[in-house]
Amino acid sequence: MADIPDATAAEFDAAMLRAGLAVPAALRAAVLPGYAELRQQVELLRGLPATAEPSNVFRLHPMGAA
Amino acid sequence: MAGDTPSIAEMGRQLRAHQTTSEALTRAALDRVAAADGALHAFITVTADRALADARKADAAFAAGQDAGPFQGIPYALKDIYDTGGIRTTCHSKLREHVVPAVDSEVARRLAAAGGTLVGKLATHEFAIGGPSFDLPFPPARNPWNVEHITGGSSSGSGAAVAAGMVRMAMGSDTGGSIRGPAAYCGTVGMKATYGRVSRRGVFPLSFTLDHTGPLTRAVEDAAITLQVIAGHDPLDTASADVPVGDYLAGLQGGVAGMRLGVPRAFFAKALAATPDMLAAFDRSVAALREAGATVEDVELPEYALFNACGRVILTSEAYAVHEADLRTRLSDYGFITQQRFVLGAGLTAADLVQAFRVRRQLTDAVNAVLGRYDALLTASALAVAPRFDAVPDPNRSAAAPMQTLPFNVTGHPAMSVPTGKGEGGLPLSLQVVGRPFDEATVFRIGRAIERATGWDGAAGECPQ
Repeated sequence: MADIPDATAAEFDAAMLRAGLAVPAALRAAVLPGYAELRQQVELLRGLPATAEPSNVFRLHPMGAA
Repeated sequence: MAGDTPSIAEMGRQLRAHQTTSEALTRAALDRVAAADGALHAFITVTADRALADARKADAAFAAGQDAGPFQGIPYALKDIYDTGGIRTTCHSKLREHVVPAVDSEVARRLAAAGGTLVGKLATHEFAIGGPSFDLPFPPARNPWNVEHITGGSSSGSGAAVAAGMVRMAMGSDTGGSIRGPAAYCGTVGMKATYGRVSRRGVFPLSFTLDHTGPLTRAVEDAAITLQVIAGHDPLDTASADVPVGDYLAGLQGGVAGMRLGVPRAFFAKALAATPDMLAAFDRSVAALREAGATVEDVELPEYALFNACGRVILTSEAYAVHEADLRTRLSDYGFITQQRFVLGAGLTAADLVQAFRVRRQLTDAVNAVLGRYDALLTASALAVAPRFDAVPDPNRSAAAPMQTLPFNVTGHPAMSVPTGKGEGGLPLSLQVVGRPFDEATVFRIGRAIERATGWDGAAGECPQ
């Protein structure tokens, strides 16, 4: 895990703690590289203008009067 | 061998000509399961009594002159995340090892109403994610082309059962490629129709906005027949689309002359996991489609990495939401690989997920824009042949991911994996045909043209197992 920054590992530990997950050491070691990659991927998603709407904005259809 | 099993259409012809009975076809399927499944582990539960009861009912209907259509009397199997009333539905997990649903999933109901005979419930990666795993209540399915190799997942048993000729059709589910991946590795057809085309109701969720249900089949025609039976609006599935279902068989043999097909080559040509045999087979299929009269051109889509990041954040977040309570209280009851996949969701924020949904709209629009100029896209499915069990990549590292299926779960477009030939070790190769929303008929037609060129629905695609 030498390639995982300490800050990333600490962020992971904090997230697991907040979620109430008791992550054993072996699981932590297995997941951390993937977590670091996931955080890098998340950065790819940023930078859209404020007006860019998400895919799950929804519309209602009229039902008629009660 | 798969070649020993008649196609769904051929079984239908024999049934209607009184050359066979559904009971005979179903007993033959059960015999193939009994002979092969000890080595393949495709099935979690074999439902022999149910299958034979279904078969006798189908035969009685034929005798009475009642014909429910092309699936009447046809043996099939379901991935074990499809609820089946009175039959356990385990999700291949200790957490649901003894769960027996009260009612059928909508797809199971439609297949039963169409007269199919349910042979059993199939292995999956636990909760349709991760795997293959050896720390679950049931062993992982093995690839009939070579049992030292994986089937791909998560519809692992579906791929194995169809490739081994146990059944011509097995239902899978596809959240990031779980129909098309095992189809690619096992040399079957795998059809993920448009999001909302086939009901998800009663199928255990992995990721609500990415989940699709669909068939793995020995040949394209089998998939078209199956989709004809299972497609259509389900008002009790909130994602189900109220869009008319076309005739998937009418134009199936019509060829590709005059079609315009786009190839987002940058998607896969530079991918770390892409292998020369896959690329060569892809190009042979493109050449065959050109020879058959299609225009095939390279096209530009947004970077694959953006699709991948978007899909991964959505999948990881939604799956975590489904399993949050059990992860807190029963973490060790999940398999180790499943734990790895699911706990990552706790490391994502609400803003991460909203950004992914914002990007998703842009990506969907971008694919639609290209499909405004082309009838369909051709791209890679699996980037190489199935790896050995001891060479499976880390499921949490997507940079070298062996599949390129997730983009069309993100966008919801119909996408089908079609075999293109054999590669290293004689294992199957494939490509992916991606269509316009709700235009599954064109996807099938292109897939059939590829199949005709490769001869995969005949001897070329017979599995030696």
